[in-house]
Amino acid sequence: MPGSPESDTMAALSTADIRPANPSAVEQEVIELFDQWREPLLRYLSSGTSVAFSDSEDIIQETFLALFEHLRRGKSRHNLRGWLFRVAHNLARKQYRSRQDSKNIPQSTLAIEDSLVDPGPNPEDQLATSQTKRCLRAILQALPEQNRWCLYLRAEGLRYREIAEVLGMSLGSVSLCLERSLARIARAEW
Amino acid sequence: MLAPNGEFVRSEQSHLSDQELLLAVDGELSEREAGPALAHLATCWACLARKQEIEAAIGDFMRLHRGNLGRNIPPPEGPRALLKAQLAQLAQTERPPWFRGFSLRPALAIVLAAFGLGLIAYLISAPWTVRQTTRLVAVTVPNPSLTPGATVLVSREEVCRESNTKNKAVPVAVQRAVFDEYGIRTAEPRAYEVDYLITPALGGADDIRNLWPQSYKATDWNAEVKDALEDHLRDLVCDGKLDLATAQHEISTNWIEAYKKYFHTDRPLSRHR
Repeated sequence: MPGSPESDTMAALSTADIRPANPSAVEQEVIELFDQWREPLLRYLSSGTSVAFSDSEDIIQETFLALFEHLRRGKSRHNLRGWLFRVAHNLARKQYRSRQDSKNIPQSTLAIEDSLVDPGPNPEDQLATSQTKRCLRAILQALPEQNRWCLYLRAEGLRYREIAEVLGMSLGSVSLCLERSLARIARAEW
Repeated sequence: MLAPNGEFVRSEQSHLSDQELLLAVDGELSEREAGPALAHLATCWACLARKQEIEAAIGDFMRLHRGNLGRNIPPPEGPRALLKAQLAQLAQTERPPWFRGFSLRPALAIVLAAFGLGLIAYLISAPWTVRQTTRLVAVTVPNPSLTPGATVLVSREEVCRESNTKNKAVPVAVQRAVFDEYGIRTAEPRAYEVDYLITPALGGADDIRNLWPQSYKATDWNAEVKDALEDHLRDLVCDGKLDLATAQHEISTNWIEAYKKYFHTDRPLSRHR
Protein backbone atom coordinates (compact mmCIF):
# COMPACT_ATOMS: atom_id res chain seq x y z
CA MET A 1 0.00 0.00 0.00
CA PRO A 2 2.71 2.51 -0.96
CA GLY A 3 1.82 6.11 -0.31
CA SER A 4 -1.24 5.30 1.82
CA PRO A 5 -1.63 6.85 5.26
CA GLU A 6 -1.11 3.42 6.80
CA SER A 7 2.19 2.79 5.03
CA ASP A 8 3.36 6.32 5.78
CA THR A 9 2.69 5.79 9.47
CA MET A 10 4.58 2.52 9.43
CA ALA A 11 7.51 4.08 7.61
CA ALA A 12 7.66 6.80 10.24
CA LEU A 13 7.52 4.21 12.98
CA SER A 14 10.30 2.16 11.48
CA THR A 15 12.67 5.11 11.31
CA ALA A 16 11.89 6.34 14.83
CA ASP A 17 13.97 3.78 16.70
CA ILE A 18 13.87 5.61 20.00
CA ARG A 19 13.69 4.18 23.48
CA PRO A 20 10.29 5.05 25.00
CA ALA A 21 10.33 7.90 27.50
CA ASN A 22 7.81 6.52 29.95
CA PRO A 23 5.20 3.77 30.27
CA SER A 24 2.24 6.10 29.87
CA ALA A 25 3.60 7.32 26.51
CA VAL A 26 3.98 3.70 25.43
CA GLU A 27 0.46 2.97 26.67
CA GLN A 28 -0.89 5.82 24.56
CA GLU A 29 1.07 4.66 21.53
CA VAL A 30 -0.21 1.10 21.90
CA ILE A 31 -3.81 2.33 22.06
CA GLU A 32 -3.27 4.40 18.89
CA LEU A 33 -1.81 1.38 17.09
CA PHE A 34 -4.72 -0.72 18.39
CA ASP A 35 -7.19 1.74 16.86
CA GLN A 36 -5.30 1.61 13.57
CA TRP A 37 -4.70 -2.14 13.30
CA ARG A 38 -7.45 -3.90 15.24
CA GLU A 39 -9.77 -4.13 12.26
CA PRO A 40 -7.20 -5.43 9.73
CA LEU A 41 -5.96 -7.95 12.31
CA LEU A 42 -9.51 -9.04 13.09
CA ARG A 43 -10.21 -9.56 9.38
CA TYR A 44 -6.99 -11.52 8.90
CA LEU A 45 -7.43 -13.74 11.95
CA SER A 46 -11.08 -14.55 11.38
CA SER A 47 -10.74 -15.16 7.63
CA GLY A 48 -7.14 -16.09 6.90
CA THR A 49 -6.43 -18.34 9.86
CA SER A 50 -8.65 -21.02 11.34
CA VAL A 51 -9.49 -19.39 14.66
CA ALA A 52 -13.10 -18.68 15.53
CA PHE A 53 -14.25 -15.10 15.13
CA SER A 54 -15.03 -14.86 18.84
CA ASP A 55 -11.45 -15.87 19.72
CA SER A 56 -9.89 -13.28 17.42
CA GLU A 57 -10.55 -10.38 19.82
CA ASP A 58 -8.76 -12.28 22.61
CA ILE A 59 -5.76 -12.91 20.37
CA ILE A 60 -5.64 -9.24 19.44
CA GLN A 61 -5.72 -8.21 23.10
CA GLU A 62 -2.84 -10.57 23.78
CA THR A 63 -0.94 -9.24 20.77
CA PHE A 64 -1.19 -5.63 21.94
CA LEU A 65 -0.22 -6.52 25.50
CA ALA A 66 2.87 -8.17 24.00
CA LEU A 67 3.48 -5.02 21.94
CA PHE A 68 3.32 -2.94 25.12
CA GLU A 69 6.03 -5.12 26.70
CA HIS A 70 8.06 -5.03 23.48
CA LEU A 71 8.03 -1.22 23.31
CA ARG A 72 8.44 -0.69 27.03
CA ARG A 73 11.63 -2.72 26.96
CA GLY A 74 12.96 -0.43 24.24
CA LYS A 75 13.04 -3.15 21.59
CA SER A 76 13.12 -2.49 17.85
CA ARG A 77 10.38 -0.41 16.26
CA HIS A 78 11.29 -1.59 12.80
CA ASN A 79 8.11 -2.49 10.88
CA LEU A 80 5.62 -2.71 13.74
CA ARG A 81 2.86 -3.60 11.32
CA GLY A 82 4.73 -6.78 10.33
CA TRP A 83 5.51 -7.43 14.01
CA LEU A 84 1.82 -7.22 14.96
CA PHE A 85 0.72 -9.57 12.20
CA ARG A 86 3.51 -12.03 13.00
CA VAL A 87 2.66 -12.18 16.72
CA ALA A 88 -1.09 -12.43 16.05
CA HIS A 89 -0.51 -15.13 13.41
CA ASN A 90 1.66 -17.19 15.77
CA LEU A 91 -0.84 -16.88 18.62
CA ALA A 92 -3.63 -17.96 16.29
CA ARG A 93 -1.64 -21.00 15.15
CA LYS A 94 -0.86 -21.89 18.75
CA GLN A 95 -4.49 -21.68 19.74
CA TYR A 96 -5.63 -23.64 16.71
CA ARG A 97 -3.17 -26.44 17.49
CA SER A 98 -4.19 -26.60 21.13
CA ARG A 99 -7.87 -26.76 20.16
CA GLN A 100 -7.16 -29.50 17.69
CA ASP A 101 -5.31 -31.40 20.39
CA SER A 102 -8.36 -31.20 22.62
CA LYS A 103 -10.58 -32.22 19.67
CA ASN A 104 -12.47 -28.97 19.95
CA ILE A 105 -12.30 -27.79 16.35
CA PRO A 106 -13.48 -24.21 15.92
CA GLN A 107 -16.08 -23.04 13.47
CA SER A 108 -14.70 -22.98 9.94
CA THR A 109 -13.98 -19.77 8.10
CA LEU A 110 -16.75 -20.62 5.69
CA ALA A 111 -19.31 -20.87 8.46
CA ILE A 112 -18.05 -17.68 10.11
CA GLU A 113 -18.34 -15.64 6.96
CA ASP A 114 -21.74 -17.18 6.19
CA SER A 115 -23.00 -16.05 9.55
CA LEU A 116 -21.83 -12.52 8.82
CA VAL A 117 -23.14 -12.17 5.28
CA ASP A 118 -24.96 -8.93 4.63
CA PRO A 119 -27.97 -9.74 2.41
CA GLY A 120 -28.04 -8.21 -1.07
CA PRO A 121 -30.39 -5.41 -2.09
CA ASN A 122 -33.06 -7.65 -3.71
CA PRO A 123 -33.78 -11.40 -3.88
CA GLU A 124 -32.34 -11.90 -7.40
CA ASP A 125 -29.16 -10.02 -6.69
CA GLN A 126 -28.98 -11.72 -3.38
CA LEU A 127 -29.20 -15.15 -5.01
CA ALA A 128 -26.56 -14.38 -7.65
CA THR A 129 -24.26 -12.75 -5.11
CA SER A 130 -24.60 -15.52 -2.61
CA GLN A 131 -23.88 -18.17 -5.28
CA THR A 132 -20.73 -16.32 -6.34
CA LYS A 133 -19.68 -15.92 -2.75
CA ARG A 134 -20.32 -19.56 -1.97
CA CYS A 135 -18.23 -20.59 -4.94
CA LEU A 136 -15.43 -18.23 -4.02
CA ARG A 137 -15.47 -19.36 -0.41
CA ALA A 138 -15.23 -22.97 -1.50
CA ILE A 139 -12.15 -22.10 -3.56
CA LEU A 140 -10.56 -20.27 -0.65
CA GLN A 141 -11.28 -23.16 1.69
CA ALA A 142 -9.61 -25.56 -0.71
CA LEU A 143 -6.39 -23.53 -0.92
CA PRO A 144 -3.34 -24.78 0.99
CA GLU A 145 -3.23 -22.81 4.24
CA GLN A 146 0.03 -21.06 3.36
CA ASN A 147 -1.49 -19.76 0.12
CA ARG A 148 -4.51 -18.55 2.04
CA TRP A 149 -2.39 -16.78 4.65
CA CYS A 150 -0.43 -14.99 1.90
CA LEU A 151 -3.63 -13.90 0.19
CA TYR A 152 -5.26 -12.49 3.32
CA LEU A 153 -2.06 -10.76 4.49
CA ARG A 154 -1.69 -9.13 1.08
CA ALA A 155 -5.36 -8.10 1.27
CA GLU A 156 -4.52 -6.21 4.47
CA GLY A 157 -1.87 -4.22 2.67
CA LEU A 158 1.33 -6.08 3.58
CA ARG A 159 4.13 -5.98 1.06
CA TYR A 160 5.71 -9.26 -0.11
CA ARG A 161 8.76 -8.76 2.09
CA GLU A 162 6.53 -8.24 5.15
CA ILE A 163 4.47 -11.34 4.34
CA ALA A 164 7.70 -13.31 4.01
CA GLU A 165 8.75 -12.11 7.48
CA VAL A 166 5.38 -12.85 9.08
CA LEU A 167 5.24 -16.39 7.71
CA GLY A 168 8.97 -17.17 7.65
CA MET A 169 8.96 -17.82 3.92
CA SER A 170 11.17 -16.69 1.04
CA LEU A 171 10.13 -13.78 -1.14
CA GLY A 172 9.83 -16.12 -4.15
CA SER A 173 7.52 -18.46 -2.24
CA VAL A 174 5.21 -15.59 -1.30
CA SER A 175 4.99 -14.52 -4.91
CA LEU A 176 4.30 -18.10 -6.02
CA CYS A 177 1.60 -18.64 -3.39
CA LEU A 178 -0.20 -15.44 -4.41
CA GLU A 179 0.04 -16.20 -8.08
CA ARG A 180 -1.39 -19.72 -7.62
CA SER A 181 -4.21 -18.53 -5.37
CA LEU A 182 -5.29 -15.79 -7.78
CA ALA A 183 -5.01 -18.14 -10.75
CA ARG A 184 -7.36 -20.51 -8.94
CA ILE A 185 -9.88 -17.70 -8.36
CA ALA A 186 -9.53 -16.42 -11.94
CA ARG A 187 -10.21 -19.90 -13.40
CA ALA A 188 -13.43 -20.33 -11.44
CA GLU A 189 -16.69 -20.15 -13.35
CA TRP A 190 -19.69 -18.60 -11.67
CA MET B 1 13.38 -16.43 -16.87
CA LEU B 2 14.76 -15.91 -13.35
CA ALA B 3 18.33 -14.52 -13.07
CA PRO B 4 20.73 -15.60 -10.26
CA ASN B 5 19.90 -12.39 -8.35
CA GLY B 6 16.17 -13.30 -8.30
CA GLU B 7 15.16 -10.78 -10.96
CA PHE B 8 13.35 -11.63 -14.15
CA VAL B 9 15.39 -11.36 -17.37
CA ARG B 10 13.46 -11.00 -20.62
CA SER B 11 13.54 -9.99 -24.18
CA GLU B 12 10.89 -7.50 -25.31
CA GLN B 13 9.19 -10.12 -27.48
CA SER B 14 8.73 -12.86 -24.86
CA HIS B 15 5.42 -12.89 -23.00
CA LEU B 16 5.21 -12.12 -19.29
CA SER B 17 4.59 -15.05 -16.94
CA ASP B 18 1.61 -14.93 -14.56
CA GLN B 19 4.04 -14.36 -11.72
CA GLU B 20 5.63 -11.37 -13.50
CA LEU B 21 2.19 -9.97 -14.25
CA LEU B 22 1.20 -10.21 -10.59
CA LEU B 23 4.47 -8.59 -9.51
CA ALA B 24 3.74 -5.79 -11.97
CA VAL B 25 0.19 -5.38 -10.63
CA ASP B 26 1.49 -5.31 -7.05
CA GLY B 27 4.34 -2.90 -7.80
CA GLU B 28 6.84 -5.54 -6.66
CA LEU B 29 9.08 -5.57 -9.77
CA SER B 30 12.46 -3.92 -9.35
CA GLU B 31 13.13 -0.77 -11.38
CA ARG B 32 15.27 -2.78 -13.78
CA GLU B 33 12.50 -5.36 -14.30
CA ALA B 34 9.63 -2.89 -14.47
CA GLY B 35 10.82 -1.02 -17.60
CA PRO B 36 10.89 -3.96 -20.05
CA ALA B 37 7.73 -5.47 -18.50
CA LEU B 38 5.70 -2.28 -18.95
CA ALA B 39 7.11 -1.82 -22.47
CA HIS B 40 5.95 -5.32 -23.34
CA LEU B 41 2.50 -4.77 -21.83
CA ALA B 42 2.09 -1.62 -23.93
CA THR B 43 2.37 -3.70 -27.10
CA CYS B 44 0.91 -7.08 -26.14
CA TRP B 45 -2.85 -7.43 -25.74
CA ALA B 46 -2.55 -11.07 -24.75
CA CYS B 47 -0.47 -10.16 -21.68
CA LEU B 48 -2.63 -7.11 -20.99
CA ALA B 49 -5.74 -9.33 -20.98
CA ARG B 50 -4.10 -11.78 -18.56
CA LYS B 51 -3.10 -8.87 -16.33
CA GLN B 52 -6.73 -7.74 -16.27
CA GLU B 53 -7.83 -11.27 -15.32
CA ILE B 54 -5.50 -11.13 -12.34
CA GLU B 55 -6.86 -7.74 -11.36
CA ALA B 56 -10.41 -9.07 -11.69
CA ALA B 57 -9.56 -12.03 -9.43
CA ILE B 58 -8.16 -9.59 -6.85
CA GLY B 59 -11.38 -7.57 -7.14
CA ASP B 60 -13.58 -10.65 -6.61
CA PHE B 61 -11.57 -11.71 -3.62
CA MET B 62 -11.53 -8.26 -2.03
CA ARG B 63 -15.28 -7.78 -2.47
CA LEU B 64 -15.90 -10.97 -0.54
CA HIS B 65 -13.28 -10.28 2.09
CA ARG B 66 -14.07 -6.67 2.90
CA GLY B 67 -17.77 -6.84 2.07
CA ASN B 68 -18.70 -9.59 4.46
CA LEU B 69 -16.55 -8.85 7.44
CA GLY B 70 -16.11 -5.11 7.07
CA ARG B 71 -19.72 -4.23 7.77
CA ASN B 72 -20.03 -6.65 10.67
CA ILE B 73 -16.93 -5.99 12.70
CA PRO B 74 -18.00 -5.10 16.23
CA PRO B 75 -17.31 -1.52 17.37
CA PRO B 76 -13.91 -0.95 18.97
CA GLU B 77 -15.05 0.79 22.19
CA GLY B 78 -15.41 -2.33 24.34
CA PRO B 79 -12.15 -4.04 23.27
CA ARG B 80 -10.30 -0.69 23.50
CA ALA B 81 -11.57 -0.14 27.04
CA LEU B 82 -10.53 -3.64 28.02
CA LEU B 83 -7.06 -3.15 26.52
CA LYS B 84 -6.68 0.18 28.34
CA ALA B 85 -7.61 -1.46 31.63
CA GLN B 86 -5.17 -4.30 31.07
CA LEU B 87 -2.37 -1.92 30.07
CA ALA B 88 -2.96 0.23 33.14
CA GLN B 89 -2.79 -2.83 35.34
CA LEU B 90 0.29 -4.14 33.58
CA ALA B 91 2.01 -0.77 33.96
CA GLN B 92 1.34 -0.83 37.71
CA THR B 93 2.32 -4.40 38.39
CA GLU B 94 5.45 -4.78 36.30
CA ARG B 95 8.86 -3.34 37.05
CA PRO B 96 9.73 -0.27 34.97
CA PRO B 97 12.10 -0.85 32.06
CA TRP B 98 14.91 1.22 33.51
CA PHE B 99 15.14 -1.20 36.42
CA ARG B 100 15.64 -4.23 34.19
CA GLY B 101 18.68 -2.87 32.47
CA PHE B 102 20.22 -1.43 35.64
CA SER B 103 23.82 -2.46 36.10
CA LEU B 104 24.75 -2.78 39.76
CA ARG B 105 28.10 -1.67 41.04
CA PRO B 106 29.76 -4.36 43.17
CA ALA B 107 29.55 -2.43 46.49
CA LEU B 108 25.90 -1.63 45.95
CA ALA B 109 25.30 -5.25 45.01
CA ILE B 110 26.73 -6.39 48.36
CA VAL B 111 24.52 -3.98 50.29
CA LEU B 112 21.44 -5.08 48.36
CA ALA B 113 22.33 -8.75 48.81
CA ALA B 114 22.61 -8.23 52.59
CA PHE B 115 19.26 -6.43 52.58
CA GLY B 116 17.73 -9.25 50.55
CA LEU B 117 19.00 -11.89 53.00
CA GLY B 118 17.57 -9.89 55.89
CA LEU B 119 14.23 -9.63 54.10
CA ILE B 120 14.15 -13.37 53.44
CA ALA B 121 14.90 -14.06 57.12
CA TYR B 122 12.04 -11.75 58.09
CA LEU B 123 9.62 -13.42 55.71
CA ILE B 124 10.54 -16.86 57.03
CA SER B 125 10.03 -15.72 60.62
CA ALA B 126 6.61 -14.18 59.90
CA PRO B 127 4.95 -16.28 57.22
CA TRP B 128 1.44 -15.97 58.61
CA THR B 129 1.48 -12.17 58.46
CA VAL B 130 2.61 -12.12 54.86
CA ARG B 131 0.09 -14.68 53.75
CA GLN B 132 -2.66 -12.90 55.60
CA THR B 133 -1.79 -9.61 53.83
CA THR B 134 -1.69 -11.23 50.42
CA ARG B 135 -4.98 -12.95 51.07
CA LEU B 136 -6.68 -9.77 52.16
CA VAL B 137 -5.63 -7.99 48.97
CA ALA B 138 -6.63 -10.92 46.81
CA VAL B 139 -10.14 -11.11 48.15
CA THR B 140 -10.93 -7.41 48.08
CA VAL B 141 -9.96 -6.59 44.51
CA PRO B 142 -8.87 -9.06 41.85
CA ASN B 143 -5.21 -9.50 40.96
CA PRO B 144 -5.02 -7.81 37.53
CA SER B 145 -2.43 -10.21 36.18
CA LEU B 146 -4.67 -13.18 37.03
CA THR B 147 -8.04 -11.55 36.41
CA PRO B 148 -7.81 -8.78 33.82
CA GLY B 149 -11.46 -9.32 32.84
CA ALA B 150 -12.79 -10.72 29.56
CA THR B 151 -15.91 -10.01 27.52
CA VAL B 152 -17.90 -11.69 24.78
CA LEU B 153 -19.12 -9.95 21.64
CA VAL B 154 -22.59 -8.89 22.60
CA SER B 155 -24.72 -5.82 21.97
CA ARG B 156 -26.62 -3.71 24.50
CA GLU B 157 -29.90 -5.05 23.10
CA GLU B 158 -28.80 -8.64 23.64
CA VAL B 159 -27.66 -7.87 27.18
CA CYS B 160 -30.95 -6.19 28.04
CA ARG B 161 -33.09 -8.82 26.34
CA GLU B 162 -31.84 -11.46 28.77
CA SER B 163 -34.35 -11.60 31.63
CA ASN B 164 -32.36 -13.93 33.87
CA THR B 165 -29.47 -11.85 35.25
CA LYS B 166 -28.41 -14.40 37.82
CA ASN B 167 -24.86 -15.59 37.15
CA LYS B 168 -24.63 -19.24 36.24
CA ALA B 169 -22.77 -21.44 38.70
CA VAL B 170 -19.04 -21.75 38.14
CA PRO B 171 -18.05 -25.46 37.92
CA VAL B 172 -16.26 -26.78 41.01
CA ALA B 173 -13.12 -27.64 39.00
CA VAL B 174 -12.90 -24.05 37.72
CA GLN B 175 -13.49 -22.70 41.23
CA ARG B 176 -10.63 -24.86 42.45
CA ALA B 177 -8.39 -23.54 39.67
CA VAL B 178 -9.24 -19.97 40.69
CA PHE B 179 -8.45 -20.68 44.36
CA ASP B 180 -5.16 -22.31 43.26
CA GLU B 181 -4.24 -19.28 41.18
CA TYR B 182 -4.82 -17.00 44.13
CA GLY B 183 -2.94 -19.29 46.51
CA ILE B 184 -5.89 -19.85 48.86
CA ARG B 185 -6.25 -23.61 48.49
CA THR B 186 -6.94 -24.12 52.18
CA ALA B 187 -9.56 -21.38 52.43
CA GLU B 188 -13.09 -22.11 53.57
CA PRO B 189 -14.94 -22.29 50.21
CA ARG B 190 -18.19 -20.99 51.66
CA ALA B 191 -16.46 -17.77 52.68
CA TYR B 192 -15.97 -16.91 49.01
CA GLU B 193 -17.92 -16.41 45.86
CA VAL B 194 -15.90 -17.24 42.76
CA ASP B 195 -17.22 -14.21 40.98
CA TYR B 196 -17.14 -12.79 37.49
CA LEU B 197 -15.18 -9.54 37.39
CA ILE B 198 -17.39 -8.37 34.51
CA THR B 199 -20.70 -10.06 35.16
CA PRO B 200 -22.18 -12.03 32.21
CA ALA B 201 -25.24 -9.83 32.68
CA LEU B 202 -23.00 -7.03 31.32
CA GLY B 203 -21.33 -9.14 28.62
CA GLY B 204 -18.59 -10.69 30.79
CA ALA B 205 -17.02 -13.89 29.45
CA ASP B 206 -17.18 -17.33 30.99
CA ASP B 207 -13.39 -17.40 31.20
CA ILE B 208 -10.93 -17.93 34.06
CA ARG B 209 -9.39 -14.53 33.28
CA ASN B 210 -12.74 -13.06 34.28
CA LEU B 211 -13.06 -15.01 37.55
CA TRP B 212 -11.71 -14.30 41.02
CA PRO B 213 -12.41 -15.39 44.59
CA GLN B 214 -14.33 -12.64 46.32
CA SER B 215 -14.96 -12.81 50.03
CA TYR B 216 -18.48 -12.44 51.41
CA LYS B 217 -17.46 -11.22 54.82
CA ALA B 218 -13.73 -10.43 55.00
CA THR B 219 -14.14 -6.72 54.31
CA ASP B 220 -16.86 -4.15 53.81
CA TRP B 221 -16.31 -4.40 50.07
CA ASN B 222 -17.67 -7.90 49.71
CA ALA B 223 -19.46 -9.95 47.06
CA GLU B 224 -22.93 -8.70 48.00
CA VAL B 225 -21.82 -5.09 47.57
CA LYS B 226 -20.41 -5.87 44.14
CA ASP B 227 -23.64 -7.67 43.16
CA ALA B 228 -25.52 -4.46 43.96
CA LEU B 229 -23.18 -2.49 41.71
CA GLU B 230 -23.64 -5.00 38.88
CA ASP B 231 -27.43 -4.73 39.09
CA HIS B 232 -27.26 -0.95 39.16
CA LEU B 233 -24.90 -0.71 36.14
CA ARG B 234 -27.10 -3.07 34.15
CA ASP B 235 -30.15 -0.95 34.92
CA LEU B 236 -28.27 2.16 33.73
CA VAL B 237 -27.16 0.40 30.52
CA CYS B 238 -30.65 -0.87 29.76
CA ASP B 239 -32.20 2.52 30.51
CA GLY B 240 -29.82 4.04 27.97
CA LYS B 241 -28.05 6.15 30.60
CA LEU B 242 -24.68 4.40 30.27
CA ASP B 243 -23.09 2.61 27.34
CA LEU B 244 -22.15 -1.03 27.73
CA ALA B 245 -18.43 -0.56 26.99
CA THR B 246 -18.12 2.07 29.71
CA ALA B 247 -19.90 -0.15 32.23
CA GLN B 248 -17.54 -3.04 31.37
CA HIS B 249 -14.51 -0.76 31.62
CA GLU B 250 -15.54 0.76 34.95
CA ILE B 251 -16.23 -2.54 36.64
CA SER B 252 -13.06 -4.22 35.33
CA THR B 253 -10.76 -1.31 36.16
CA ASN B 254 -11.76 -0.80 39.79
CA TRP B 255 -15.16 -1.97 40.90
CA ILE B 256 -14.87 -0.25 44.30
CA GLU B 257 -14.25 3.13 42.68
CA ALA B 258 -17.15 2.44 40.32
CA TYR B 259 -19.41 1.69 43.29
CA LYS B 260 -18.40 4.96 44.98
CA LYS B 261 -19.02 6.85 41.76
CA TYR B 262 -22.41 5.39 40.89
CA PHE B 263 -23.83 5.27 44.43
CA HIS B 264 -22.28 8.63 45.43
CA THR B 265 -20.78 7.26 48.62
CA ASP B 266 -17.38 6.43 50.09
CA ARG B 267 -18.62 3.38 51.94
CA PRO B 268 -20.95 0.51 51.01
CA LEU B 269 -24.57 1.37 51.71
CA SER B 270 -26.05 -0.59 54.61
CA ARG B 271 -28.78 -2.11 52.41
CA HIS B 272 -26.11 -3.69 50.22
CA ARG B 273 -24.00 -5.32 52.98
